[in-house]
Amino acid sequence: MKFGIFYEISVPRPWGPTTEYEVYQNCLEQVKLADELGFDQVWAVEHHFLEEYSHCSAPEVFLTACAMVTKNIRIGRGIVVCVPEFNNPIKAAEVAATMDIVSGGRLEFGTGRSATWTELGGMSADPDETKKTWDEWVRIIPKMWTEERFGYQGRAFSMPQRAVLPKPLQKPHPPMWVAVTSPGTELDAADRGMGSLGLTFGGFAEQEQKIAEYRRRIKYCNPVGSFVNEQVNTVNFLFCHEDNEYGAKTGQRLAGTFNYLAEQLLAARQAYPTRSYPNLGLLPALRREATSAPEGQIPEGLCIGNPDRIIEVIKKWESVGVDRINFLLNAIETVPQEEVLASLRLFAKEVMPKFAEKPAAKAPAAVGGN
Amino acid sequence: MPLVGTRPTTDFEHGPLLRPDGEPWVLPRVQILQVMYELEQGAMTSLLPPALHPTIPPTLVVTAWRVPESPAGPFTLAEAKVGCRSGARPRALSVRAYCDSAAAREALAARWGYPVSEGTIDFARRYDRSWVTVRAGGRTVLDAHLVDPEAISGADIQYLATLNTARVERDGAATARLIQVDPEYQFHSADRGMPELLAFDGEAWGLPGADPYWPVSASYAVADVAMPELRYLVDPAKPPLAAVERLHA
Repeated sequence: MKFGIFYEISVPRPWGPTTEYEVYQNCLEQVKLADELGFDQVWAVEHHFLEEYSHCSAPEVFLTACAMVTKNIRIGRGIVVCVPEFNNPIKAAEVAATMDIVSGGRLEFGTGRSATWTELGGMSADPDETKKTWDEWVRIIPKMWTEERFGYQGRAFSMPQRAVLPKPLQKPHPPMWVAVTSPGTELDAADRGMGSLGLTFGGFAEQEQKIAEYRRRIKYCNPVGSFVNEQVNTVNFLFCHEDNEYGAKTGQRLAGTFNYLAEQLLAARQAYPTRSYPNLGLLPALRREATSAPEGQIPEGLCIGNPDRIIEVIKKWESVGVDRINFLLNAIETVPQEEVLASLRLFAKEVMPKFAEKPAAKAPAAVGGN
Repeated sequence: MPLVGTRPTTDFEHGPLLRPDGEPWVLPRVQILQVMYELEQGAMTSLLPPALHPTIPPTLVVTAWRVPESPAGPFTLAEAKVGCRSGARPRALSVRAYCDSAAAREALAARWGYPVSEGTIDFARRYDRSWVTVRAGGRTVLDAHLVDPEAISGADIQYLATLNTARVERDGAATARLIQVDPEYQFHSADRGMPELLAFDGEAWGLPGADPYWPVSASYAVADVAMPELRYLVDPAKPPLAAVERLHA
């Protein structure tokens, strides 16, 4: 089991002249500490226009800053929105390769397609097209990294032969992931030999079933990259405190705040009738998980409370086949920075050692890549 | 935390008095036209009471029902609602609606709190477009179209629960409340197309300053609609997390 941290970079109102600066500085301080404590990865989202919920529209810049203040932690671009109104595949490949170089070969490359009308409408993107353009991009980006010169004539994207430069430091290229929110996307990941970057919690039983199917399907995949990245990454909340009651209460406040902010956004499905978005994405699932416990109890899968409780929770996630857990540490600074840092330290001291000697994963580790 | 509405709650004190008794209504083969636009953000909070959050971005949801058969006879209903959040729940606020049948107006107002006024409603479906036009007070207050329909599945459509501006009995007095109305739909067919809003009079819908400027989507469906038994209300004056209450304590 590996542990990481995950950033939406939510910024509380009122937005003063330095509010965003302060939140970004807090995040960088957390990342630096996480690296020193032995966390394995830091991920940052790409979101646009999501007031308060996420002010992280240029994660490549934030993650490069992370790389500059750390030594070992891997840098997760989570995710590149593979929609032409948001990004360009050549530029995405170039930026990712540059990040890999300046980080010393620490890039993890996440892909996805956005799930809100707030973003899709803001970028004038067609919701019906996003799955198709994502599918095209994840096949051509690794070729841009590995082929000396690359040319392509496709459905939504074409280019004459050019050398896409620079090339990533990791050979043949960084590990590739798919953000999984809609049901079935974990199978899209499996069929393409990509890691499953889960962004919803679900219960243990639901996740176990999804992971088992992912493992079955990936055996027969047609990998889009030069190697298969069979790994399951999930997201969770983290607040670790010696006092279980205080830790749980604070953690639930964190989770509740995050989910409340998420619900203010306009999901693609709520605005635009399309079968391309069969559910509301991550938002309701997050809310359900954070509020589904009976009154006075902690939702079963959340990593909040004292170290003993969190160890038990992670053991369960491990038993259902999760390889990595990424933690959301804060939401609109609802937890004071000092408490976030203390939570990270306590987790590293009391929880991480319990999982340090375990085999790397139930599944074979990624071949190549890192 | 998210923005909340700033509209004076006195604006919500003139709705119909709720009397939610009677037999269930299941309305067969209702034609439903829905058109969504983004609203200019200048009125983002001024359209909503303190109990509600605006969506990001703010939206106008036009919904029209042509009901061929009901216990009150056939009728056509048109609403123009503001997309919002009641706490974390997606909703659409209706301050004023229009209906062409006196019997239906009386039933919809009493049983589900619809703030309905009398209006002349033209609801039409053609192969190239569907539209709803509402005339009230001698002028056109709404002209909304779906253009170039293409067939989709009814499962692809999501209708928001409405919050109707009404009044309920509380401690012997008629008190302003927003009535949550969330019908169930069994779809027979559905189309999607380009939205086109040719006329919209915000004042006439109780939405002064609402300026729909950016088209989002349009759908047309035929569905059996089961009107709900009411359960939840919103006190417009309270903060979002304290505003929801049960109809029957």
